[in-house]
Amino acid sequence: MKQRANRRDFLKAAVATAAACPYLIPGSALGAGDRPAPSARIVMGGIGIGNQGSGDQGAFLGRGDVQYVAVCDVNTQHRNAARDRANGRYHNSDCKTYNDFRELLARTDIDAVHVATPDHWHALVVIDACRHGKDVYCQKPETKTLREGPLMVAAARRYSRVVSGGSQRVLEDYRRQVNPCWSGELGPIKSINVSFGPLAQSCYLGSEAVPQGMDWDMWLGPAPWAPFHRYRCSGSFNINGTCWRSFSDYSGGGMTDWGAHHFGGAIFAIDCREFEPEEVEYHNEKGREFVGFRYPNGIHLYHNHPGMKHLQIVGTPGEKRAPKPVPGYKGNGGIHGDFIECVKTREKPFRDIELATHSISVAHLGSIAYQLKRSLKWDGVKNEFPGDEEANRLVDRARREPWTL
Amino acid sequence: MQYQTITRSALAAAATILGATVAVAEDKPALDKAAIDKAFESLKTFNWGVDHNKFRALLGPIEDAVPATHGDAAARKELETKLAAVLSTEASRAAKDYVGRKLAIIGTAESVPALAALLPDKDLSHMARYALERIPAPEATKALRDSLAKTSGAQKAGVIGSLGVRRAAESIADLATLVGDSDESIAIAAATALGDIGSVESAKALQDAKPASDPVKLRVADAQLAAGECLLTAGDKAGALAVYKSLIASPEKSVRLAATRGLLLASGKKE
Repeated sequence: MKQRANRRDFLKAAVATAAACPYLIPGSALGAGDRPAPSARIVMGGIGIGNQGSGDQGAFLGRGDVQYVAVCDVNTQHRNAARDRANGRYHNSDCKTYNDFRELLARTDIDAVHVATPDHWHALVVIDACRHGKDVYCQKPETKTLREGPLMVAAARRYSRVVSGGSQRVLEDYRRQVNPCWSGELGPIKSINVSFGPLAQSCYLGSEAVPQGMDWDMWLGPAPWAPFHRYRCSGSFNINGTCWRSFSDYSGGGMTDWGAHHFGGAIFAIDCREFEPEEVEYHNEKGREFVGFRYPNGIHLYHNHPGMKHLQIVGTPGEKRAPKPVPGYKGNGGIHGDFIECVKTREKPFRDIELATHSISVAHLGSIAYQLKRSLKWDGVKNEFPGDEEANRLVDRARREPWTL
Repeated sequence: MQYQTITRSALAAAATILGATVAVAEDKPALDKAAIDKAFESLKTFNWGVDHNKFRALLGPIEDAVPATHGDAAARKELETKLAAVLSTEASRAAKDYVGRKLAIIGTAESVPALAALLPDKDLSHMARYALERIPAPEATKALRDSLAKTSGAQKAGVIGSLGVRRAAESIADLATLVGDSDESIAIAAATALGDIGSVESAKALQDAKPASDPVKLRVADAQLAAGECLLTAGDKAGALAVYKSLIASPEKSVRLAATRGLLLASGKKE
């Protein structure tokens, strides 16, 4: 792959040019106004820059401490629009475009990337970004399979990278549940329920002409080959069979897409972020299915419990529980600001990849229990269903050649 | 949820009306053999071009039969035999794609020959691996290993990747050779597979590798680091130290940093 100038070379050239042409360089480029000097800015690129990716790009572009220099998308229209947004922000033409994320990651001048591809690409891109020494902000749901989570965490730790998951709702939308739990007001927590759906669907939609500017083979990547269909790759947020979020080859359906938020928020409220359930209890009451996740500390997290409301918490009235301070974002600017602050300080972000993947693993465990229609034991440390050969087959899936994690 | 099961009373009524063989089990959908046979008839002409409702109408009974046959060895075997038989017919790519997904869950050594025959097929290789990679029988590993001589390019890279996921230690010698392959995707897959295996032998094979391009070099280093972690987890500190020391002067900054971290961990330092 073509090697590009590194950041230091770029800065030397910039300083030399500034010396030669002092009146042509805007003060903001040298750190005047509200922007830090270029050497203090985080140089970023974006991979997967459609609906959600463009939102993330906007959040990072709005920060003075970020210099946004590259976009990657397999859809030419998306990547050109993203390039134009970045160049418009800086009034220059520096933002480069890529169809293949590997070329963007090979750039040595980029410090960090944000990733908002469809879910089936997340683990591959995040792990490769870590190999290349990049910090990563990855949209939720962070994984497509149970095997991917520990591999992403291992890559983050191996290369000492800051890797943040992407659900802003976990901290921002569930204060009414989090605060009374963490303050001790509800006493020891017994259970919490979240209600949402649906599970992911199989997708055998028919064939349509591949639009000009779309690299369909790269969009599919590690997913099974299938003909192009606009619903198959639509990035809309309707989980009703008209976007990729609906389909099991690319997503976990509502179970992971909403699960990242609802499971994530519920697990945060009951303070079980740092471990995974040890059992998934499958129930079928007169045709109404629901599951309960039993944590090692005895707390139950229910999904679609027919006798409980969404986000209903059962505590222990009259019993005390020691209060704990609720963790929050570092820096400023919400979850994006938390990530950037941690890139600077090398602290773990609020949605550190390990905590984020624990939440998504709950969604995967539930999906597998619904699929097999039975209860399952789970060993979150070994990442396996102990003694359950059938369920262990669903811990991962073969990736389409030539992609490997 | 979408996959609603039928209540016991409804099943009993259906059994009376249709005369079908219905097995009623708590928390399980019933096994309707007539409906399953009809679904297998549909599979003969099944193709892309159906929405989810139509898909369920055509193949739903096979979908439901997977959980319904759990713990019923005879029913499972019958289902597997019917599925595997589709692979050698003129059924569409979509139908064989579907079969691969089901055999990933219920396939045994019995399905391996039918799946192995598809590994060199450009269109079907992945879905053959989709099943073979997840079938725990040693026959599946052997089929993947045997196909190394029958595949090339991306299909060979895929087979190598599956051997790595299965942690097929008997493949180390083959994989060690393939790290030097001129096809970058094959070399990368072989390096990754050796890292996945994570043994002293695979770490040694990686250390002796002579990767040609920068992307392969990075993946070899990454696989070495992964192997080092496996050795450390297994309590082989000396093995892990040897791996990390060999990487400390890597031209890649990210690898040098990771090797330094590994050395500290192998020396007993905590993160």
